[in-house]
Amino acid sequence: MTVHRLLDIFTLIERFEREGSNGYALCAVAAEFMALDGAGIAMISDSEDLTSLCTSNNAAGALMDLEITLGEGPAVDASRGDANEDTNLLKESASNWETYRPEAAALGARAVFGFPVRLGAIRFGALSLFRTTPGPLNAEQDSDAYLMASVIGRAILSTQAGGSQENLVGELNGASMLDFRVHQAAGMLAVQGCISVKDALVLLRAHAFGAGCQLSELAERVVSGLTRLDPESREWIDAPEIENNE
Amino acid sequence: MERESLLIATLVELADNLVDDYDVIDVLTVLCLRCVEAVDVDAAGVMLASPDGELQFVASSSESMTVLELFQIQTNEGPCVDCFRGGLAITNHALSETDGRWPHFTPRALAQGFRAVHSLPMRLRGRTIGALNLFRTHQGLMTDDDVLVAQGLADVATIAILQHRSTIDAGTLNAQLSNALNSRVIIEQAKGMIRQSTGCDMDEAFNRLRAHARNHNEGLTGLATRLVTKSIDAIDLDEWTKTRSS
Repeated sequence: MTVHRLLDIFTLIERFEREGSNGYALCAVAAEFMALDGAGIAMISDSEDLTSLCTSNNAAGALMDLEITLGEGPAVDASRGDANEDTNLLKESASNWETYRPEAAALGARAVFGFPVRLGAIRFGALSLFRTTPGPLNAEQDSDAYLMASVIGRAILSTQAGGSQENLVGELNGASMLDFRVHQAAGMLAVQGCISVKDALVLLRAHAFGAGCQLSELAERVVSGLTRLDPESREWIDAPEIENNE
Repeated sequence: MERESLLIATLVELADNLVDDYDVIDVLTVLCLRCVEAVDVDAAGVMLASPDGELQFVASSSESMTVLELFQIQTNEGPCVDCFRGGLAITNHALSETDGRWPHFTPRALAQGFRAVHSLPMRLRGRTIGALNLFRTHQGLMTDDDVLVAQGLADVATIAILQHRSTIDAGTLNAQLSNALNSRVIIEQAKGMIRQSTGCDMDEAFNRLRAHARNHNEGLTGLATRLVTKSIDAIDLDEWTKTRSS
C-alpha cells in the first residue's frame, strides 16, 4: 500500500515541478493526493514562531495567514501536539479556536485538519488541510495524511541537506522512515559535534548525498564508530582501518 | 516461577502499568520481557503498522543491535509481514538454509542462532495493527498452551496501544499508532546520545534510559525527549545495574 501511494506522490511531485508551480510543490501535491480543497505547510522557525512554507491556492494561503496571525487553529495545535480537526466550522465544536472558526468559515472552509510534521523529538511544523464541505476525512485520507506528513518531514531534511529531487526519491524508496540506525547515528553525531539532532540528521543526509552512499550504510558506519564528526571542525573523519583492529 | 503464577504476576504488573499516563513503549517492553519468561522462547518483539501500512519495530525483549536488525529487515519481509498481511498466526516455523520463504530474513536470523520463529497477529475489530514476534534458539514445537499464552499477551499489547480510550475510530487509531512509532524514534535518537556520551553499547543505553525513567517516575518517551532537546544531559542519567529483567 505504501509503495503504491508513494508512487502516486512522486508522480504528482514531478507533474507539479514540470508545471513550474511556485517553487515548493508539496502543498499542491498534498491537496490533490487527498482530494481536498487546499493544503498548507507551516514550519516552526528557530525562534519557535510558525511561518508558512507553502500553500496550494489562495484560499489555503488566506487560511494559513489567519492561523498564524491569530495563533490558533489546526496547524498551530498540530505543530505542538497531535493531529486534530474541526469537521464543521459552522456548528458548535470541541475545538477551542473561538476566533479562528468564524473567520475560517468566512473564507469558505467548512472542515479543517492539522497533522504534525515530526520525526522523533524533532518538530518541523504541521500539514494543514481544508475542505469547503463539512465532515471528517475518510479512513484512506486520514492514513494518506500521515504518509504525506512523513514525506514532508523527509523532504525538508533532504532540501536542507542540499539534496536534489532525485536524492529525495531515493531516500523515500530506500530503508524505512524509522530506520533505527539512522536515528541512533543522529543522536551520536549530535553529541560528537555539539549540534542538535535535527542538524545531525541533515548532516548525515548531506554526507550520504555527497558520498553517493545509502543513508542507512552511512548510519551503520557512524554507529559502529567507523565514521565520526570532528568536534572542532565538524569535518567527517573516516577510519576504515579500525575495522581490522577490532 | 511456575507459569501460572508468572502469568498472574505479569497481569498484575501490566494492570499496574496501564494507569493514566503510562508510556506505551515501556509497557510493550515489559510485555516482551515477560513473554520470554512465560513462553519457551529466547527473544520477543512487537512490530506495529504505521497509518500508511508499513510495519515498524516498537519494542523488544532485547535491544541488542543484532536483534533490532531482525526487526528492521521485517519492514519488508519476514514472519511479521506475512502474519500482518494475512491476519493469521505463524507458529513453529523452523528456519533452515534451504527455506526460500524469506531470503533476507532467514539467513540473518540463523546467523544469530535462532532456529524457529512465531508471529501472532495483534487484532482490533477486524483490523490487524501489528504482530508479536517470537524467536527460539532451538527447534521443537511450541505447545497449544504456549500459543494461547502468547496470543493473550499479544491481545494485551493491542489494548496497551489503544490506551484508555473507549471508542476507537480510524483516525484515533492512526494517531495512537503514529505516536507509538514516533516514541520509538525518539528513544533511538536518545540511545545514540547516551552511547556517545557514556561510551556504553546500545543495549545498555536503553537500560539506563529505562532505569532512570523508572527511578524518577518519568515516562520513557518523556525522558528521551528531554535528552534529545537537551534539557537533561546523558551523563546525568542514573547508572544501570543488571538485576532480574525488570
